[in-house]
Amino acid sequence: MAANEATRPRVGSHLFLMLLLVAFLFPVGWALLSAFKPAEDIVRAPLAFDPSTFNLDNYTAMFQDVPIGQGFLNTAVVLLFKGACTMFFAPLAALAFAKYQWIGKNLVFGAVLVTLMLPTIVLIIPLLLEMKELGWVNTYQALILPGAVDAFAIFWMRQVISAVPDELLDAARVDGCGEFAIFWRVVVPVIRPGLAGLGVLTVMNIYNDFVWPVVAASNERMATLQVVLSTLAQNITGNRIGADYAAVTGELLAASSVALIPLLVLFILLQRHFINGILAGSVKG
Amino acid sequence: MTAPTATATRRAPRAGRGTARLRRRAAPYLFVLPFVAIFAAFSVYPLFFTARLSFTDWRGTGAATWVGWDNYTYLLTNPAFWSSLGNSAILWLLIVPVQIVLGILVAVLLNNAKLRLRGLYRVAFIVPFVTPLVAVAQIWVVLFDQRYGAVNAFLGLFGLPDTGWLTTSAWAKPTLALLFLWKTTGFIVIILLSGLQSINASIYEAADLDGASKARQLWNITVPLLRRTIGFAVVLQTLAVFQMFAEPFVVTQGGPYNSTTTAGYYLYNHITRADLGTGAANSFLLVVLVMALSLLFVRLLRAKD
Repeated sequence: MAANEATRPRVGSHLFLMLLLVAFLFPVGWALLSAFKPAEDIVRAPLAFDPSTFNLDNYTAMFQDVPIGQGFLNTAVVLLFKGACTMFFAPLAALAFAKYQWIGKNLVFGAVLVTLMLPTIVLIIPLLLEMKELGWVNTYQALILPGAVDAFAIFWMRQVISAVPDELLDAARVDGCGEFAIFWRVVVPVIRPGLAGLGVLTVMNIYNDFVWPVVAASNERMATLQVVLSTLAQNITGNRIGADYAAVTGELLAASSVALIPLLVLFILLQRHFINGILAGSVKG
Repeated sequence: MTAPTATATRRAPRAGRGTARLRRRAAPYLFVLPFVAIFAAFSVYPLFFTARLSFTDWRGTGAATWVGWDNYTYLLTNPAFWSSLGNSAILWLLIVPVQIVLGILVAVLLNNAKLRLRGLYRVAFIVPFVTPLVAVAQIWVVLFDQRYGAVNAFLGLFGLPDTGWLTTSAWAKPTLALLFLWKTTGFIVIILLSGLQSINASIYEAADLDGASKARQLWNITVPLLRRTIGFAVVLQTLAVFQMFAEPFVVTQGGPYNSTTTAGYYLYNHITRADLGTGAANSFLLVVLVMALSLLFVRLLRAKD
């Protein structure tokens, strides 16, 4: 499968890759480890690690001061509903684009592409006003419904479903399968690897989403995990005084670690599906 | 469906096939309906609303006053608007070329099946892509802090003076660019890898026989054949850079001295000032710019085909 197989890479290549590897892993690794250090040591000796001083003080302080549990809960609710919408309706729409001829197909696909290219920030003002009109500011609906059927997911699944042979669909029709049953019993099982990749990407996108939640659900009760996190850094940049700075930094690193870990675990468990999914779904040179 | 009884028996199966065909005709409309409904409610409607809003002066409450093109002329003659675009353009220059070159080099190396630790590299390079941006942006604030940060502590080991990475106009942009590069380069590598895998290995064998060096093969074979994938990556990153918002929001709040007030962040400023008419006009100008840039890149890359 791979091109350029002829020669084993030289030492220089390894050195280059190793340097990059360190650069790519350093910030996350540093934060995960530093969160266990006494807060004063994080700022006094940011590069020193003495495992004998490791403790959970930053974590306990953080759980006391930061409503991170509420953030996790809100993110989980949004993940569940918004994720389900995308995982179900995006492949369904993609099937219509990949395997059916219908009037308006190009127009609606144009809409998918426009949604892909439209900066989120552009729609924020009118969307926020729309939410106000509907009385949805600081509600789950506001976090879930806009963008509930992700355009990139449709775009990607269209590529994946295009590769499903037409004969499979026609055979199911001859057997008396209805059109939805074709989607559910024929297409979905065949594209399961692609769906796994889409699942990881969807969880990631929703979990990491920030711009819309920070505007639409800014109050503490509705704030998603990322919104809760974002207020911490502002405490630091707004307040640069000695002892306080250390304490806030410690809590901030603990909070960041807690937010990082679920996705890292998910990714490491499913990384093959994810990477192969992207490889299969992106454009071919 | 009032078929004469005499032919009913002959027509029955055909009628059954007819409903099946009807259902097959109707199916795609039903399949895209959820997307279209969401799109209409939360994209088309807001877009039309923005269009109208951009010609008014409105502070979020009370009646909106029609001001014609005033918001547009205000923005287009406002140095702050142009400097936000300039900041985004500089960030684009700091990010996209570096990322593409780095991405190609890494992708080519990772595409070699004989590379040791290939799996490890692939995972490690994509780790930044899966980490939440807000969490990483915060870590950036701590790492690059002038007095207490790990970066200055490390550089201090070599006797280098403390640098105000986030507090001086000169360094704030490169520091943000570094965050963006760190976060997204792994994804670009994966996209480029997918392009590389569709290149036929025999081309390289032929080039080897002709005695072409690896560097020449990279420049004369790989890069031209990857052109469309590279184009896709450039468009994707151009969109992302000109929308950049969360990075300056968390790390620098647009400062120091507006040096990291990107196009996206400047737009957000209108919201915080409740100057919604100007914000709407700014939105439209940004959409036009982003779409024009994307089309330009698509054109440039097509023209060479």
